[in-house]
Amino acid sequence: MTSPIEGAALQALALEAVLDFAIISLNPDATVTNWNAGAERLLGYGRKEMLNRSADVIFTPEDRAAGVPERERALALSQARAEDERWHMRKDGSRFWGSGLMMRLPPGTGFLKIMRDQTERHLAQKRIEVSEACFRTLATNIPQVVFASRVDGVRSWAGPQWIIFTGCSERDSLAYGWLDAIDPEDREATRLAWVRAREVGEYYIEHRVWKQATSQYRWHQTRATPLDPADPDQSEWVGTSTDIHELRTLQENQQILLAELQHRTRNLLAMVQSIARRGARDTDSFSEFLDDFEGRMRALSRVQSLLPISDAGAVPIDKLVRQELAAHVSGAEEPGRLTVTGIEAGISAASAQILALALHELVTNAVKYGALRQERGHLHIAWTVTPRPDRSGSMLSLTWRETGVPMPQATPRRRGYGTELLTRALPYQLGANTQLEFTANGVSCSIDLPIANSRSQAT
Amino acid sequence: MTHADSLAGRRILIVEDDYLIMSDLALELESQGAVVLEPCPSVRQALATITAESRIDAAVLDVNLAGEQVFPVAAALLERAIPFLFTTGYDAEALPADYAKLPRCRKPVDAATLLKTLSAMVGPRPA
Repeated sequence: MTSPIEGAALQALALEAVLDFAIISLNPDATVTNWNAGAERLLGYGRKEMLNRSADVIFTPEDRAAGVPERERALALSQARAEDERWHMRKDGSRFWGSGLMMRLPPGTGFLKIMRDQTERHLAQKRIEVSEACFRTLATNIPQVVFASRVDGVRSWAGPQWIIFTGCSERDSLAYGWLDAIDPEDREATRLAWVRAREVGEYYIEHRVWKQATSQYRWHQTRATPLDPADPDQSEWVGTSTDIHELRTLQENQQILLAELQHRTRNLLAMVQSIARRGARDTDSFSEFLDDFEGRMRALSRVQSLLPISDAGAVPIDKLVRQELAAHVSGAEEPGRLTVTGIEAGISAASAQILALALHELVTNAVKYGALRQERGHLHIAWTVTPRPDRSGSMLSLTWRETGVPMPQATPRRRGYGTELLTRALPYQLGANTQLEFTANGVSCSIDLPIANSRSQAT
Repeated sequence: MTHADSLAGRRILIVEDDYLIMSDLALELESQGAVVLEPCPSVRQALATITAESRIDAAVLDVNLAGEQVFPVAAALLERAIPFLFTTGYDAEALPADYAKLPRCRKPVDAATLLKTLSAMVGPRPA
């Protein structure tokens, strides 16, 4: 049995055997007194070339210029040890991340430095730090609310956007505290969505989230997925809530507009049906019926182009009148024959169609029998807008005056329908006051129509 | 097909803001011998008529009266147990749940269907 190796011999052996560590001893002036095999391997300098030479060559030129080696030794002297985590330089100029320790040896004898290459670990650590900084920057700067949660909806982290948006502190938002910022009507569905998330591996809900700045609930789309999809139960879930309030509002408005469009179309068809059935009752011959019916359909078509997209919009009375006249009278207004005067004013979409039909009957009559047929006939159309006494809106007063028309003896049948539209339909449907007279001079008609306001309408 | 048997002499209320549709419907009902009450273009007038009339046998209600919804009139009629039907340009989804199952004629209304529905509501003529 050989005797065990002891003392200095063991130390020397260990020193050489440890290839993963550079173990260096230095004089107080930093000249090398010992340089093990690990140091040769790590730093590229041989033992012989380093003995009695300053160990400072293993520092980078920048660190040497900055006095880092001196500071490290001073620290080791005062504190007995100095940690050394920094980039170092090999003989060939390549760099590595050295992680080590410098210890003070007994007074006057110098230092011992132990170091290993931790470049891989250091770079991995850096990558994680960059990745984390990247996530944090993203998670705290995107407009969406970001959060972390357990599979059961217990919240473990609330991003700053959540805290700012809802006004709930981080502490109040953790666990199930965040549910307080959800519209009470949506809370049950919001919780149930977490039950479902466990089954399908993804959380999804559209719900209303309290916005503190404007004191309102706003529609959000909230999604979350587990960081480890293979183990959703144990994994942390990360999610976002996106404000979709504008989108939802637009969709709702679109639904309303579609419903209105459908309603308008059906009503228009119902009007067409009534006009046809009424025409069939009133006329004896098919050609007469068709003539009347087509004329009314064309008037109804013309007014469609003036109707605003929204029922809240208005139809300019000026355009309504001129368009109907233009359809029957060729050429521009002639001072001696046809005058149209009136300020710009808007009537409601609901009023426009029936008024257009009534005007159509007046114009057709004037063209066939009245002022627009007779050589010396004159038609004057004028309107004014005055505030109603109760200030509930304005009154549009339109007058239709035909002059220079010797009235025929026989009253045409069509006057029956026009008369009914003017004297019954307008009062019934629009609350209008109308007067219609067949004077010896021609047709005279006045229509007082309540309108919403006296504001001029852009045409 | 005639519904004169059940509609003759019946007092019918029409609530419809569109004059042309209203007058067409009124002529149709009158041709069946029905008595058409003063037609109403608004909720206010309809409620006043319901209060004033001692006897209304049935009503035809247009859902949208110049932007105003007819449902207060429907409620008043239900209270007096007066049968009625809706005429509407809307699909069923646009009606409140309480009314979605009540009789309804979609515009443009088929006159024969409307008369048939109305006569079924008022039942056979009392002896």
